[in-house]
Amino acid sequence: MATRIWPVMKLATKVTIAGGAVYVAYDSGLLGNSKQGAEALEKAKAVMPPAIEEWMKYFGLEAQLPTVPKIEFSPVDTWNSGVRWTISSLSEAPTKVTEYTNQGLQYLKDLTK
Amino acid sequence: MSEKELGKKWDRCLADGAIKLGTGLGLGIVFSVLFFKRHTWPISLGSGAGLGMAYANCQNDLRSHYILHRGDKVGLCMEKMNKML
Repeated sequence: MATRIWPVMKLATKVTIAGGAVYVAYDSGLLGNSKQGAEALEKAKAVMPPAIEEWMKYFGLEAQLPTVPKIEFSPVDTWNSGVRWTISSLSEAPTKVTEYTNQGLQYLKDLTK
Repeated sequence: MSEKELGKKWDRCLADGAIKLGTGLGLGIVFSVLFFKRHTWPISLGSGAGLGMAYANCQNDLRSHYILHRGDKVGLCMEKMNKML
């Protein structure tokens, strides 16, 4: 009797654990649309530092984690301004090349005088 | 769609992609350990499914700006024009 019930119990436990994992994922909005996913990521980011601190205390590692330095450099802004500078330089290039060529020719003429 | 709005949509896409990949990976690991004797394929399947869901969400999000919905003024205008004809 017990030998028959044990595999069934094992299967039922596994199904409960797997079903519970899927339900938790669904309930916390991890399987929803983009907005819910982004909100879940923000929540996770907010929860991380206190959780890490707690775990460090639990394991007795009281050493302070080095704080992430706030970087003032924004790669997005620099990339965008870099693209703008490149394109404006390319658009002005023919005019500037003509100007410098004329200046150079004028200089050579002045030298030969 | 303004550039700011587009940038926000892309941010949401990336965040959602990371979340769904992690969730798929996690659920794949759970199923692999519980039912499939620690084989790798449920993990790959879960990650792939998560990425696919994120892709579909992103696609809908980016297209939603251009899709007309029922009850918009354009729809009512078309109905009036049809009645006149």
